[in-house]
Amino acid sequence: MFSNFDFGVVFGSLPYLFGTGMVFTVTLTALAAGMGVVLGTLLAMARLSGVPGLKHVAKVYVELMRSLPLVLVIFWFYFLVPYIGAYLTGASRPIQVGAFSSALITFTLFEAAYFSEIMRAGIQSIPKGQTGAAYALGMTYAQTMITVVLPQAFRNMLPLLLTQTIVLFQDTSLVYVLSLTDFLGAASKVAQRDGRLVEMYLFAAVVYFAVCFSASFLVRRLQRRVAIIR
Amino acid sequence: MTSTPMPAPTATTPVAPGSVAPSDSGLQSGPLTSPPPRIATGTPMIAIDNVSKWYGDFQVLTNCTTQVAKGEVVVVCGPSGSGKSTLIKCVNALEPIQKGQITVNDTKVVDKATDLPKLRSRVGMVFQHFELFPHLSITENLTVAQRKVLKRPAEEAKKKGMDLLARVGLSAHADKYPGQLSGGQQQRVAIARALAMNPVVMLFDEPTSALDPEMVGEVLDVMVELAKEGMTMMVVTHEMGFARKVADRVIFMDRGEIVEDARKEDFFGQPRSERAQQFLSKILQH
Repeated sequence: MFSNFDFGVVFGSLPYLFGTGMVFTVTLTALAAGMGVVLGTLLAMARLSGVPGLKHVAKVYVELMRSLPLVLVIFWFYFLVPYIGAYLTGASRPIQVGAFSSALITFTLFEAAYFSEIMRAGIQSIPKGQTGAAYALGMTYAQTMITVVLPQAFRNMLPLLLTQTIVLFQDTSLVYVLSLTDFLGAASKVAQRDGRLVEMYLFAAVVYFAVCFSASFLVRRLQRRVAIIR
Repeated sequence: MTSTPMPAPTATTPVAPGSVAPSDSGLQSGPLTSPPPRIATGTPMIAIDNVSKWYGDFQVLTNCTTQVAKGEVVVVCGPSGSGKSTLIKCVNALEPIQKGQITVNDTKVVDKATDLPKLRSRVGMVFQHFELFPHLSITENLTVAQRKVLKRPAEEAKKKGMDLLARVGLSAHADKYPGQLSGGQQQRVAIARALAMNPVVMLFDEPTSALDPEMVGEVLDVMVELAKEGMTMMVVTHEMGFARKVADRVIFMDRGEIVEDARKEDFFGQPRSERAQQFLSKILQH
């Protein structure tokens, strides 16, 4: 059966697969992860704050995002963001939001919910005495978080944050619902054009596996190195 | 000004500098007291006035009143769970109080208008578990608050930090991380870190309780030096040797109350309360 396979099609399309598809996937992953961690950290701080309203808003947000399928959220945001934008800017017509911007906003908001749970655990892992010591030195809440708590929390949670980013890397393939061309989308297009579905999807699987497996391996190595000596 | 506790509400009444109240009357109600050993003038550095604190329904502090004069060394002792650590943490508002008032260097701690970070920056605190910042080097530990809180230039902060590190005898460890130092060394760095803020008073919360016995001495030596230089100190400790050596007064607490507030000589000579006698006999047995 495998004798009929023609993997030549893969080599011919490599520039397109990586130059267009993989660049898109990596860009979206990096931007969404970066912005997601920042937003997630703010959500975690809100949730851990004693402020009643803030605390509950953050909790509802995180629970809502974690209870919805990602594809659904991508769809909803694609159709809703133009209207929300119009509402916010006071425009009379839905504003134009490109598919990429829409995807980036969706992934950022969605991943922020997961990152916030990781950062919440990270912040809680810092002994209370550390914040006490920072306050005793005259630091404000913001100074305490920025110089004492968050650097340690981030360091403790770095392996988990990166693991979540690896999951995000795989999830970005869902942008096909918005007709965006990520790595899998590019492979799919070539497969359809040349009628080589099995070869292309096999190759795509191998690439995803290779990237994610080596990334996990590096995360495990990193985990041993960044551990803070106490 | 006397450092003898007085019944509220007169405890925080400012007394004009120079007016030293005769305080050997011994007629106070409440805790058993004795006159202060030093003649201190002006308002007290720390005035704790009728302070009560609850955790939920559980009362941890009950009507605590005492004062610490400038330059005075006061040791707070008592059985575990007696509220002594809680009391010292109330002084720089790390723990909120529900009743009473604390005044540090003429600034009210329980007052919405008080700039707490500013107040805390003038009150040095040393913790049982050191609480150095493990992700920062020793140098950074000594300078970070100077730069962020006092806005000192990096050079000046570093010089101040290194001078203090030399004072506690740890110059060689400037570039190490806290995890690479022994407990005793970490606690000495923690004292240097607090001193770097030029505090007007130092609070010690069981500074030697978490240390291996052979490291207790090196930390106490630093504290004795500090006391000799005239630093105002409030020390929660079980080290009765330290109390005998440098304390001016000893406060004995039990079940959230100040049971005895006496001159060192009186406290060790003839503690007047039964509970203090029992405590001393237990702690001095070994």
